[in-house]
Amino acid sequence: MHRHAYSNGQAAYPSLGGNGTFSIEPHKFQPRSQPALRRRRQLIQRLLLVCSVFFTALFFFFPDLRPNLGSGPLSYLTASEDSQLETVRYYDLNNVQGTARGWEREERILLCAPLRDAALHLPMFFSHLKNLTYPHNLIDLAFLVGDSKDDTITLLTKNLNDLQADPTPKQRFGEISIMEKNFGQKVNQDVESRHGFAAQAGRRKSMAQARNWLLSAALRPTHSWVYWRDVDVETAPFTILEDLMRHNKDVIVPNVWRPLPDWLGGEQPYDLNSWQESETALALADTLDEDAVIVEGYAEYATWRPHLAYLRDPYGDPDMEMEIDGVGGVSILAKAKVFRSGVHFPAFSFEKHAETEGFGKMAKRMKFSVVGLPHYTIWHLYEPSVDDIRHMEEMDKERKAKEAEEAAKKERMDKIKDQFDVSKSTDWEKEKAEVQDLVQKAKNEAKKEKDEQKQKADETKEEAEKVAEKKEEEVKAAPVVQKKDENVHEARGEDEKSKPQPVQPQNEAA
Amino acid sequence: MVKGSRGMNPITFVLAGILCIGFFIFFFSSSDASSPATDRQKSGTAASVLSPPSLPFRKAKSNEPQAAPPVVHYYMNNVTNSRTPVENSETVLILTPLARFYQEYWDNLLKLSYPHDLISLGFIIPKTKEGNLAYTALQTQVTKTQSGPKSKRFASVTILRQDTENPLQSQLESERHKMENQKARRAAMAKARNSLLFTTLGPTTSWVLWMDADIIETQPTLIQDLAAYDVPIIAPNCFQRYYNEEEKRNDIREYDYNNWIDSPTAKELAAKMGKDDILLEGYAEMPTYRSLMAKMYDKSGDPGAKVKLDGVGGATLLVKAEVHRDGAMFPPFAFYHLIETEGFAKMANRLNWESFGLPNYLVYHYNE
Repeated sequence: MHRHAYSNGQAAYPSLGGNGTFSIEPHKFQPRSQPALRRRRQLIQRLLLVCSVFFTALFFFFPDLRPNLGSGPLSYLTASEDSQLETVRYYDLNNVQGTARGWEREERILLCAPLRDAALHLPMFFSHLKNLTYPHNLIDLAFLVGDSKDDTITLLTKNLNDLQADPTPKQRFGEISIMEKNFGQKVNQDVESRHGFAAQAGRRKSMAQARNWLLSAALRPTHSWVYWRDVDVETAPFTILEDLMRHNKDVIVPNVWRPLPDWLGGEQPYDLNSWQESETALALADTLDEDAVIVEGYAEYATWRPHLAYLRDPYGDPDMEMEIDGVGGVSILAKAKVFRSGVHFPAFSFEKHAETEGFGKMAKRMKFSVVGLPHYTIWHLYEPSVDDIRHMEEMDKERKAKEAEEAAKKERMDKIKDQFDVSKSTDWEKEKAEVQDLVQKAKNEAKKEKDEQKQKADETKEEAEKVAEKKEEEVKAAPVVQKKDENVHEARGEDEKSKPQPVQPQNEAA
Repeated sequence: MVKGSRGMNPITFVLAGILCIGFFIFFFSSSDASSPATDRQKSGTAASVLSPPSLPFRKAKSNEPQAAPPVVHYYMNNVTNSRTPVENSETVLILTPLARFYQEYWDNLLKLSYPHDLISLGFIIPKTKEGNLAYTALQTQVTKTQSGPKSKRFASVTILRQDTENPLQSQLESERHKMENQKARRAAMAKARNSLLFTTLGPTTSWVLWMDADIIETQPTLIQDLAAYDVPIIAPNCFQRYYNEEEKRNDIREYDYNNWIDSPTAKELAAKMGKDDILLEGYAEMPTYRSLMAKMYDKSGDPGAKVKLDGVGGATLLVKAEVHRDGAMFPPFAFYHLIETEGFAKMANRLNWESFGLPNYLVYHYNE
């Protein structure tokens, strides 16, 4: 019995009537939308297109009309770079007061260096910079270049660009600014005119001006510390920033010495501007007029102040502190709050002092702590003064004269030697050969006449003693000696072996 | 046919969208570089956040690795301060030590006709309860202005907070002006001024305008008017509007007594004083007989009259930036027996900069 269960060719679904739940009607047409709606939609699309073209054109030609989309990814579409610009800044100065462990708190340091005709010293300065152990990204560099006649600017720029292009990001520094400002100074920068007494007051005032311009242009609300450093420091510890910072003082300076050539004593205190105030100096200050400036280290003003420089003990504790009133400018670490509260380098006579010494005085006046480290020393470059150069020239001349004299002497000696050598190589050799023959013969004879020889030897001994005495007298009459020498050698040749006595006595014996 | 177009639609739209965005980016990035207007702006723009606060800076894109800050040259020989500051595009830094915020002060600032893109603002606010209120109010106004119409936006705004060392309990006028409080108050004020000045003074600034937070009315052309005298330091006369009870009308009276010409009496007084004592003006206990600029006001006089001063007040004061750069600051200690703004005039004088006053050119102080 055959049952055609699915005889109609349908799938094996039970057919539960023509239009049951599972019936599909594939051939039914359903319109998607109304034609009117479709037309309107096209219109809208066209309108949108026109609008976008219009606005694109509008914004392209009038950038000012572009809407502000805020900052965020959308800001790519905004007006110019305007919304990218940050115009408002907030700072809390309580966060930048400076602490003993600034590197842990990410405290920023402003490193200031006033420059003039300093191209020579820049390579050395930059090697110092690179070696600093304080995190470089926390150090901002500021330079003021003024009245330079050499290529300080170009060299500085090149060095700084190299510094910032360093492949290791840790080597790169923070903000770097170069200020160019000419003050039209007439003062010469060579060592003599720089350190001459008469030039000091004016020079110090203009230096102070440069320092103030640099600081006021470079100090930011983010700085906790300010470090002043001269470019002509030759040797300083890499950790100098941390070393000075650790003391947590408002103003702190190391001792500054300089190496000297041996004939000047090997080393010398350099920076005499760090000192403690003395009664004598205060009394002296009272006698001077308003604009006078006391400068340290000149006989004209005997102040009897204790100088930081003279108190150095090479084996002393480098952490020892000393209260001071005037500071030297070679290397000053100060908290930025000192400068913020108004302390600066007076370019006028402030309590009879100017520049860094006046700075120390003013800091003291505002009740800031000012200390020096007598046994922590950095070394300033030795630049010979005019006197030194003169002295060195003299020494050079002396040395040359001496050399010339020695050369002449040597020449004379050589000449003599040459003459001697000539005789040695020719006549002398011949004679020597003859003599040796003679000696041989004499030896043979000697064997026969031993007794005779003994007697002879005794005689010569006595004579030799006499001769030695004579010789002493002759040494005093030096010029004669040379001639005698010739005789000596010739004479020696005659009876060398037979008389084994000292050379010169033999001569006399002969 | 119908079916085909229906299937392609989303893809075309996506493509068109991408194309569109591409166009946008292309147009806008190229227009930045080409337009000359932005070039001028660029010169006054810093490339990194480490830059003088007087210059706005470009925000770093957060997804980019931090580039090393560039080496920036500032040609300070080219920073001028002339009679015609607008023509020479000279930048002005307006500095205000702020203890209380007055809306009138801000409104007056916005009215200044000097091009705002050449003006930078600097504020220092003490960290006190009163200071917090002032800070909030100021912040609101700054945000509003800096996102408002471009012509009103200032080049940059710096707001500093600092603890004052001698915070007086009250900013009440009577308390503030007591003589024994004066030295401490003015020393703290001097330090605040110096902090503000030395952290915001940039290498490109030509002029510094000191304006107290309670100066609520000035000429819109204040900066141009004062700069036109071309002197190192210049102060207008500071007056106050009040209601005259006797005459039943609005009137004005002198307010700031710190602008003066020195007198022999004052010099004698100073000679007898100790090193740290200061001379104060406007106190009956200490008659100095100095010639006060406040008393020189003459309604019918020459409005452009100028007098040389020995002491200046800080209510409104236009200073050439180079005076401050040379080191003239507000001494927080007795400097020739003078302190703060008066000491500033003296210090500037020691640096060979002279101070002047305009007796008939008025600015108005808030009336408490």
